[in-house]
Amino acid sequence: MHTHMMTRTLLGAVALLATGQAMAFCGFYVAKADATLFNDKSEVILVRDGERTVITMSNDFKGNVKDFAMVVPVPVVLERDDIRIADASLFRKLDSYSAPRLVEYFDENPCQPLYLYDSVMENVPAAATSTRGEREVEKKARSYGVTIEATYTVGEYDILILSAKESTGLKQWLLDNGYKIPATAHEVLDPYIKSNLKFFVVKVNLKELQASGFNSLRPLQIRFEHPKFMLPIRLGMANSSGEQDMVVYAFTRTGRVECVNYRTVKVPTDRNIPLFVKERFGRFYKDLFARAWRREGRNAVFLEYAWNVTPNWGGMKCDPCVGPPPLDQQFVDAGVNWSGRGAQGAQVFFTRLHVRYGRDKFPADLQFQVTPNTEHYQARYVLTHPAQGDLSCSEGQNYLENLYYRRGREMDELATLTGWDVSTFRSYVREIGDRLPPERRNALDAPLAPFRRPPGGGPGAWAFLALLTGALLVAWYFARPLPQVAKGNV
Amino acid sequence: MRTFRLAGRHLLQDARHFQILFQAAFLCYGIGWLGWDAELGRYALVFGTALGVQAFFIRWKGLPASSWKSAMITALGLSLLLKAGGPLTLVLAATTAIASKFFIRFNGKHVFNPGNLGIVLAALLTGDAWVSPGQWGSGALLVFLVGAAGSMVVLRVGRIDISVAFLGAFAALEFARTVLYLGWGTDVWLHKLSSGSLLLFTFFMITDPMTTPDHRGARIAWSMAVAAVAFLLSWKLQVYAAPIWALVLLSPLTPLFDRFWKGERFQWIRPDAPRLPRHATSN
Repeated sequence: MHTHMMTRTLLGAVALLATGQAMAFCGFYVAKADATLFNDKSEVILVRDGERTVITMSNDFKGNVKDFAMVVPVPVVLERDDIRIADASLFRKLDSYSAPRLVEYFDENPCQPLYLYDSVMENVPAAATSTRGEREVEKKARSYGVTIEATYTVGEYDILILSAKESTGLKQWLLDNGYKIPATAHEVLDPYIKSNLKFFVVKVNLKELQASGFNSLRPLQIRFEHPKFMLPIRLGMANSSGEQDMVVYAFTRTGRVECVNYRTVKVPTDRNIPLFVKERFGRFYKDLFARAWRREGRNAVFLEYAWNVTPNWGGMKCDPCVGPPPLDQQFVDAGVNWSGRGAQGAQVFFTRLHVRYGRDKFPADLQFQVTPNTEHYQARYVLTHPAQGDLSCSEGQNYLENLYYRRGREMDELATLTGWDVSTFRSYVREIGDRLPPERRNALDAPLAPFRRPPGGGPGAWAFLALLTGALLVAWYFARPLPQVAKGNV
Repeated sequence: MRTFRLAGRHLLQDARHFQILFQAAFLCYGIGWLGWDAELGRYALVFGTALGVQAFFIRWKGLPASSWKSAMITALGLSLLLKAGGPLTLVLAATTAIASKFFIRFNGKHVFNPGNLGIVLAALLTGDAWVSPGQWGSGALLVFLVGAAGSMVVLRVGRIDISVAFLGAFAALEFARTVLYLGWGTDVWLHKLSSGSLLLFTFFMITDPMTTPDHRGARIAWSMAVAAVAFLLSWKLQVYAAPIWALVLLSPLTPLFDRFWKGERFQWIRPDAPRLPRHATSN
């Protein structure tokens, strides 16, 4: 059971339009590492405009739907119109558009003329809009100290908005009414209650689900106005050891969304990696992410994508695109209400954040801010195919020699990024050397030795500590009083 | 050897040397270890502007040339805390920061901490600037480093009282709200306090001796007031860089404190410095 929520304010931010990046030489998109790779993950769409927040929560619940229950702390009592059902395809769409990508380039044959390749873009029709259902439910809960502020039926969900006076009553009420909350939930229910949060609690209405004709549960979307801009991850943490992944797709008018109480760092990008990664790209990105996450001390939020995606913006949308860019209707479905053709100067900025969190490293809920930062970013990995054809001309021979070393560097990069033991792929480098005549082959440097680096620790803070301690010692040495020097005598 | 030690002592006579060294170390840490976007051109722009504007005023006002060190500290402070979209925003921040020292003065002291005012004005006037409170992470190690190194600086300057009063009051207020009232575990409270940005502010920004009250008691009361305002801003208005805003709001009160509580005016270069002239360089 995952629980998510909302919000915060930035002091007077004004949009600054991105100037766009220089048109880079585009490659073909060949694979992507989308969010479905990660088990135990959740996905959230966050739209933030001033103090208005729209949160769409994906639902990948796998068990029997009648067991499904969700409790989300929200800062205000939501009205019926503030709750909608979104289409699950929206998540797939945003995910595939912003996922870390693998691109391919092709070397030209130095002995022959060159070819250029360009990126692919396509349009797809907008997704169908959601349906709604409505029904009122009434219950008595006063004896628990719990007030039912509102009851709604939206689509296949029965929804209650609760407020409570203290956590024991709320916990008991939830348990008695079939909401399976984690044993440690009381730790956070009290702080939430005292912070004046309400509880958005959801169960599946089986009749409505059957009537809807949908087999799976659809995403729920809520909207409200409040200065808080945060996601309450604590309620979803069942124990101290388990880690879970969350991918956040955030949209703002001004620029990137960043976390304010944890570091927001970029995943490594624009790395040249060996061709054989193509068949293993999913595993490659998973391992790369895990390694980066450990290296950053297991408590950073990772930026995977940041781009101006304004529908009528003239700049380059992606380099290359791994999926068709979102359309107006999809922005509207996600809760972006300022885009559209008529909107003057209204920019839509897309930030994708990936956070792997656990109780020990993430004691506090995630808090965010909207920044004016419009710098583009994407997680992108590059494959370069060797030139084809006859390479017997002298440029061709030099090319092969360079290729040999380049492949060595690609292997090194792969080992650094993922921690893989790449010695099993040695032939990838050797096959190039074998194409050279014996005298040149023998002159090559040894095929890059270990192909393996020790796993990284923290972000190298110990080295910094050592440096600073040294500096302090030197300073202390100089600061000691000089024994024989009389004042004014120097 | 003796010459070395004398040179070293000379170096330590001016507290600004320490501040420059430590802040530069933190900048290297951010770029080298934490992987900040090392846009060296941007840092060069901030330093160039700050030093250039300072040089202009050194000329104009006939100030001691050693006051370039103050501009250096301001430039470092801006580089460590301020983020901006466009380069002009950085120029604006650095220019207003340094110029404010010469135009907004009262009773022989400048009113605002230059770096602090530069950040706030850049954010307010352009909307293109922001502070990333999360950029330091919250490693306990860093807490120790910034804390210890920072203490060293302020101990030299003799104004550790400001850091202790501010941090103590802020921690106490946060504890009362987060742990005692809301009921979060102490780890949530510690996580809040171990923010690198908060500690940097505590040890390097609020402690600027030129913009804090001269009298010790007044200084402590003033620091606690900054803590209280920062606490209220972060709680009631969800402002994340609250200490920075609180300091700007309360800096104008310093002359008032100085009026009622007389204390010894701070001098950057210690009066017992062997080979240096005994005047204070307040800029």
